[in-house]
Amino acid sequence: MTEDRRQILDMLAEKKISVDEAERLIAALGEDAEPGSAGNGALARKDPKYLRVLVDTIDPKEGPTKVNIRVPVQLLRAGVKLTGLIPAQARDHMNEAMREQGVNFDVNRLNPDNLEELIDQLNDLTIDVDQAENNTKVRVFCE
Amino acid sequence: MIPLFATIRVRHHGSGKRSGFRLWLPLFLIWLLLAPLVLVLLPIFIAACLVFRVNPFRAIGAIWSLLTALRGTHIEVDSARNAVLVRIS
Repeated sequence: MTEDRRQILDMLAEKKISVDEAERLIAALGEDAEPGSAGNGALARKDPKYLRVLVDTIDPKEGPTKVNIRVPVQLLRAGVKLTGLIPAQARDHMNEAMREQGVNFDVNRLNPDNLEELIDQLNDLTIDVDQAENNTKVRVFCE
Repeated sequence: MIPLFATIRVRHHGSGKRSGFRLWLPLFLIWLLLAPLVLVLLPIFIAACLVFRVNPFRAIGAIWSLLTALRGTHIEVDSARNAVLVRIS
C-alpha cells in the first residue's frame, strides 16, 4: 500500500472525509500511478475486454451440453451503435416480431449509455444461475 | 484491426461414427478479394442510405467498427453428439 493511499484511509477512519470522497481520491491515485507500480491494479478499475457466457446443462436430446461464448465488449458497443442506424419503421417491425416470439423488448430503448452501465455493472459482479431441476448452470461475467 | 483468421469446427458423433470438418479461413485473403466488390457496391450502398435517410458515413463507420470488433470472438457448443466451434482471431 502506498503512503498516499494509507493517508486517505487514515482520513476516512478519522471521519475527516466521507466514503465517496475516499473512493474518488483512491481512484484518482490509481489513474495517476504508473501502470505496474506497487498498489495499482487492485483498486484501479480496469476496462473489461470480453463478455463471457458459460452454460453447463443436460439437454434431454443432446445429453450433457456445454456452451462457452466469449464476445468482445467492443462488438457489443459496435452492435448498439449499429442499432442506432436502423430506420424507425424497421425497429418497430423488429419489436413486433420479437413480441410475437414472446420477447418483450424495445429496441428503441437500446442506447450506448445503457450498455456502458451494464458493462460497468458486470465488471464488478458475476451472474450465476444454478438450476438444480435440470442441472443447468449459467455464468455471465466480464473479463 | 480487422480479423485475419477464422476457425470453424463441426463434429458429429452419431451411431458409432464420427464425422465433421475443420475449416481454417484466412480472412485477410477474403478481405483482399472482397475489396474491389466493396468499391463497386459502395455507390449503391450510399444511395440506399440516402433513400432510408441514414447518414452513409455513420453507417460505414458503424459497419467498420463492427468488423474490427469481431476479433477475439469465440463461440463453442459441445454436447455428447455434436460440437461446434467458431473462433475469430
